[in-house]
Amino acid sequence: MSESSNYGHGEEDDDDEEEVADEAGYKTSKDAVLFAIDVSESMLTKPEDSNPKKRDTMLSPTVAALKCAYALMQQRIISNPNDMMGILLFGTEKSKFQAGDAETGRGGLQYPHCYLLTDLDVPAAADVKQLRSLVEDDDEAADLLVASKEEVSMANVLFCANQIFTTKAPNFSSRRLFLVTDNDYPHASSRDARNSAAVRAKDLYDLGVTIELFPISHPDRGYTFDRSKFYNDIVYSATPSDPDAPMPLTVDIKPASSTAKDGISLLQSLLSSVASRSAPRRALVNNLPFEIGPGLKISVKCFILFKRQEPKRTSYIYLPPDSDKPQIAVGSSTLVADDTARSVEKVEVRRAYKFGGETISFTVEELAKIKHFGDPVLRIIGFKPMSMLPIWANLKPLTFCYPSEEEFIGSTRVFSALHQKLLKDKKMALAWYIPRKNATPALAAIIPGAESRSEEGEQQVPPGLWIKPLPFADDIRQAPDINLVTAPDPLTDAMRVIVQQLQLPKAIYDPRKYPNPSLQWFYRILQALALEEDLPEAAEDKTLPRWKQIHKRAGGYVVGWGEVLDEQFREWQRGHEKHIKPTANGAAKRTKAEPASSGGGAGAKKVKAEDGGEGVTDADMRDAYAKDALSKSLVADLKAWLVGKGLKGVGKKAELVDAVTKYFETKMDVD
Amino acid sequence: MASKEATVYIVDCGSTMGERSNGRQQTNHDWAMEYIWDKLTSTVANGRKTALAGVVGLRTDGTENLMDGEEDYAHITVLQELGQLLMPQLRKLREELVVSSTEAGDAISALVIAIQMIVATCKKLQYQRRIVLLTDARSAMQADDLGNITAKLKEDNIDLVVLGVDFDDADYGYKEESKDATKAENEAALNQLCEDCNGVFGTLAQAVDELGIPRVKPVKPVPSYRSMLTLGNPEEYETALAIDIERYPKTMRASAQSASKFVIRSDMAAGEATQSTQTMGNGEEAEGAAPNGTNDGLAAVKTARTYLVNDEDAPGGKKDVDRDELSKGYEYGRTAVHISESDQNVTLYETKPGFDIIGFVDKNQYERYLDMSRSNLIVTQRGNEKASMALSSLIHALYELESYAVARFVRKEMTEPRIVVLAPNIEPDFECLYDLELPFAEDVRGYRFPPLDRVVTVSGKILKVHRNLPNEELLDAMSELVDSMDLSTLGEEGGEYAVPDETYSPMLHRIAQVIKHRAIHPNEAPPAPYEILTRFSRPPDNLIAKTQRELDRVIKAADVKKVPPKARARRYGRGKEAPKPLSDLDVGALLALDPKRGGGKLKRKIDPQNAIPEFKQLVQRAEDLPDLQDACGQLGAVIEDWVRFSVGDSGYGRAVEGLRVMREEMGEMEEAGAYNDVVKGLREKVLGGALGGERALFWYKVRVGRLGLLLGSECEGGAGEEEGREFLRAK
Repeated sequence: MSESSNYGHGEEDDDDEEEVADEAGYKTSKDAVLFAIDVSESMLTKPEDSNPKKRDTMLSPTVAALKCAYALMQQRIISNPNDMMGILLFGTEKSKFQAGDAETGRGGLQYPHCYLLTDLDVPAAADVKQLRSLVEDDDEAADLLVASKEEVSMANVLFCANQIFTTKAPNFSSRRLFLVTDNDYPHASSRDARNSAAVRAKDLYDLGVTIELFPISHPDRGYTFDRSKFYNDIVYSATPSDPDAPMPLTVDIKPASSTAKDGISLLQSLLSSVASRSAPRRALVNNLPFEIGPGLKISVKCFILFKRQEPKRTSYIYLPPDSDKPQIAVGSSTLVADDTARSVEKVEVRRAYKFGGETISFTVEELAKIKHFGDPVLRIIGFKPMSMLPIWANLKPLTFCYPSEEEFIGSTRVFSALHQKLLKDKKMALAWYIPRKNATPALAAIIPGAESRSEEGEQQVPPGLWIKPLPFADDIRQAPDINLVTAPDPLTDAMRVIVQQLQLPKAIYDPRKYPNPSLQWFYRILQALALEEDLPEAAEDKTLPRWKQIHKRAGGYVVGWGEVLDEQFREWQRGHEKHIKPTANGAAKRTKAEPASSGGGAGAKKVKAEDGGEGVTDADMRDAYAKDALSKSLVADLKAWLVGKGLKGVGKKAELVDAVTKYFETKMDVD
Repeated sequence: MASKEATVYIVDCGSTMGERSNGRQQTNHDWAMEYIWDKLTSTVANGRKTALAGVVGLRTDGTENLMDGEEDYAHITVLQELGQLLMPQLRKLREELVVSSTEAGDAISALVIAIQMIVATCKKLQYQRRIVLLTDARSAMQADDLGNITAKLKEDNIDLVVLGVDFDDADYGYKEESKDATKAENEAALNQLCEDCNGVFGTLAQAVDELGIPRVKPVKPVPSYRSMLTLGNPEEYETALAIDIERYPKTMRASAQSASKFVIRSDMAAGEATQSTQTMGNGEEAEGAAPNGTNDGLAAVKTARTYLVNDEDAPGGKKDVDRDELSKGYEYGRTAVHISESDQNVTLYETKPGFDIIGFVDKNQYERYLDMSRSNLIVTQRGNEKASMALSSLIHALYELESYAVARFVRKEMTEPRIVVLAPNIEPDFECLYDLELPFAEDVRGYRFPPLDRVVTVSGKILKVHRNLPNEELLDAMSELVDSMDLSTLGEEGGEYAVPDETYSPMLHRIAQVIKHRAIHPNEAPPAPYEILTRFSRPPDNLIAKTQRELDRVIKAADVKKVPPKARARRYGRGKEAPKPLSDLDVGALLALDPKRGGGKLKRKIDPQNAIPEFKQLVQRAEDLPDLQDACGQLGAVIEDWVRFSVGDSGYGRAVEGLRVMREEMGEMEEAGAYNDVVKGLREKVLGGALGGERALFWYKVRVGRLGLLLGSECEGGAGEEEGREFLRAK
């Protein structure tokens, strides 16, 4: 088990409340996935009518499954760094179980024809490498991927998985066995063997392990996977047996085809099936009371559907002097008193507020009472049209909520009625929102979200309500003073054409099309370093605007707009001929007209800052620099100017002057 | 940065202030002090050295001021010179600002003193100058010289605020009956003075009322980015568009003051420290007792970090290493990747600052749940008229086309690019673009949920009528309720109710309120929160009354039932109801036949290797309590072995999971005793060192996992709350 097992929803919790650590109960909200991949003659056979040009379609089902596991492993290191993964091959000639079997007496012999390729754990670089060499190096694969002559006992495979989960991930809230096979009827001749497997499957179910079956059919051999022969005795459904019960959230995976008839290779279809299962759904808040009116309460679960993924923070690494294997140093904190440096127990700690040079303290009970604004609730206080929700009224990503019948029977139908009404009439609810015990109360807009599906029918955004905590008056910043010059109609008209030329596809923003370039780069580098590969040269960045297209489609209109701007601005200046503007220091200065266009002809329409007004222009600053008079500038001006240049605007005046000087020393040639 | 300010408070301490007027419980002085303390503590709370405050006592017993030689200036005491207020000053003022035994003292003279104080301190510097006079206006005033005072106040740009006890105020709607003649005359004179110098004249009742309305701390707008907004690439194409812009924050979370951690200083006995944290009363003597400058007997708590690495030679397999021995790196899975100091930047994606439009989207199709961040606003640099006109054309074009722009934004060199949406905003004298960050592909979690307007069944049918779907009646009733609970005209003067400008952060102002209160009243319980802080915690009262009929209709149509806790309790011998695989195969029957599992006999041994499933299966087939007790006893023995033979903490995870399962199963069976007996025995052995020595960490895991006794509140026959708490203690 990794040391940093976090209890409860710690990692999901981005609120800055001082919450007590053991608030959340015990189960680690982590996921452990064990791949069990069938290695039989038929699984090792490459499809017959494969297209030799597409390497993907040439893969045997076993190798495709391994590739899929390899891809998932790489991806999960990034997206779920605390989650575990393992790979168990079954039906192999060779057998191997966990390291250290000898001392516990569980030799490989106990699970014949089960080969534990990667033990269940947070993956290490070595695991990724091993897996990669297996899928990329045919010799290595040929050595290991040999089907056993005798049939492997499915009961044994399942018990082997049981033991792996029991020892390596005893208290994970989510434990899943991904079973990849094309054999729908093992032990065809032995009812006893099948029954033993069913018993072992029940053990797994009682242990809390979910079996996800990834069946494979072979259309080229006229073989279709039939679950009813065997696997329906093995796989348990999360739903009751009522035929009118709603379908479970995750539906059974359709058998993947080993041939690439419709252009989708087995690998691709496995990948997409696995992707749909890869993230276990975790609720942020379970069974939050949702009060629609006094006396009408239902319960909802809250989920985080959007969360900013950040590159990992740096860790402390220990390089042992006698070895070249760096280690992660596990940090732990202890509290110490400032006066004597003795260590302090948690119960001794008091909370006090700094005030007037001293501290104001409250007892724990007082503070709890002060901060208590009532129990967790989402309580509607009324409704407004969506049009009353200003675009700027946001502070952080929204929380998704969906009804739950666990506390109140009938929650779903009431929620559905509300959802339908709000969607239809474009309304939102205003609600008092306390997501957790002692959380800071917020006023939130509850906005309806419609279900959206891709062209293939895959759900992209689920239907439900979204909780959007609104800013309070305290959270709204005052706007700066501006001198507004409203655009005359001809100029707006010119701009309108440009806007119309450059609509994004379907006129929507689809986040799936924009991977985060920094994050991608970070992990590519990290992976290359970890696996001792060559560093990549350049990154692909899909967030960069398509300049060429913009030039082609709107370039002419931009030039036109620029001409209108020059013309309209000259006219505006004539209208303001006597426009004498007092500057901050009281001196009067006539504003200069911008040269018609910089660079001559249809040059780029740069609209530069002019003299006067607040803030220091580049020209001022360069002047001061040239005259060696930077130290006479105001600290505030230096700071503002540096920040404006994207540089660090902090420190003493001398440091700021240095920074500005440095800027001009390197940038003298720029405009 | 807020501007410098200097405020002098003139507080009437005359004997008449000790009266209780017009049926109030408080004395007039106590009432007035509510206002004064709020103002003074607010000044202390903001902790700014440039917020100066001074206090002048009017009608004090003694006399102490710059002109105290003159008879006109008698009974006026400068209690606090203009300066930054801290706790010692507050304590002192608390001693001194008490009702005197005199009626003499001229408010106008006090004003003159206050003006002098301000002039002496502020000279001609940039200050916001203010004098607040709080009086009951019951003593004689020399009102003939007011012209000079008006002139001086105006000349020095001093704001004057006069607040009176029971002054008449038509706007606020107060008029004192049978007012005495002196007071009426003084009130009139002060009112005139305020009118002449554009001051504020008001009645104390209103001022105290308004203390509950939180003040929002203004923050001077500072641009977070100042460069170009571009469309196209000016470096490559001559057809690119670039406008000089500045970006300012629009929303930014204002957090409540956070508490720091302290412990009682080791040179203090616990009793003493508690006493002296509340030293307001004992004033002077407590001050000497504070060598570190704090006289509250508390020492700050710091966090010390230690680092452990694996070392086979060290006892326990781990050794401490010093921070200096460590270098920076990253974790890739469980592999450490070392990155040398010089290579730190290799993981950074190279970017240049810029604000680059990618394209345009339809406003009406923009889903608000994509909003990822706080918002900012984009304007042009002040004084750059041409840029302003250029940006304005974009704002108007977006507005007219009901479109938003999507842009790639890099704040400064080498920072991550973000994608933002740009929305136009047009007000009479203000135009800007608002920007909000949008999610990237990696930020989207692909959770799926069933549709809400139809039910797709296990058998593949699509149902429109189902217990999880609302019927026509519920739909209609809900629609009516939503319409009736409309807030859009419920605010003041028929406007919108609860607009952001009128809502205040409850936690922020609540914490500020109680800190300020405790600073002045150390021995009193914290006051109730101001009404405005909890006003929006429920629907407005008049709305509830108005919509009761609609609500009742929804309640009836919805027929929501709370799941009774008992309904979850399971019964014995429900082996037949045990979960079945998709095929409905009776695995229970197979289990019963399995010779390894007792071959049909109920009393069978749990296999330690398969303990949890076999325990669950025993429970499923249990016929009576002894069966359950047997199952728990067996699992308990296995758990003990896991702990006993655990190398370090290797077996703890399994043991904790075993306990959890047992606790959960017994909780569901409503048989607290069966679990409690086992866990009690386990505790004794663990803490008694009977399970392979020191196992404190194991008990810690039991404690954080809340795996103590099943409590009466959780299931029948459980332990009491106190017993449960006591049980989890390590000693």
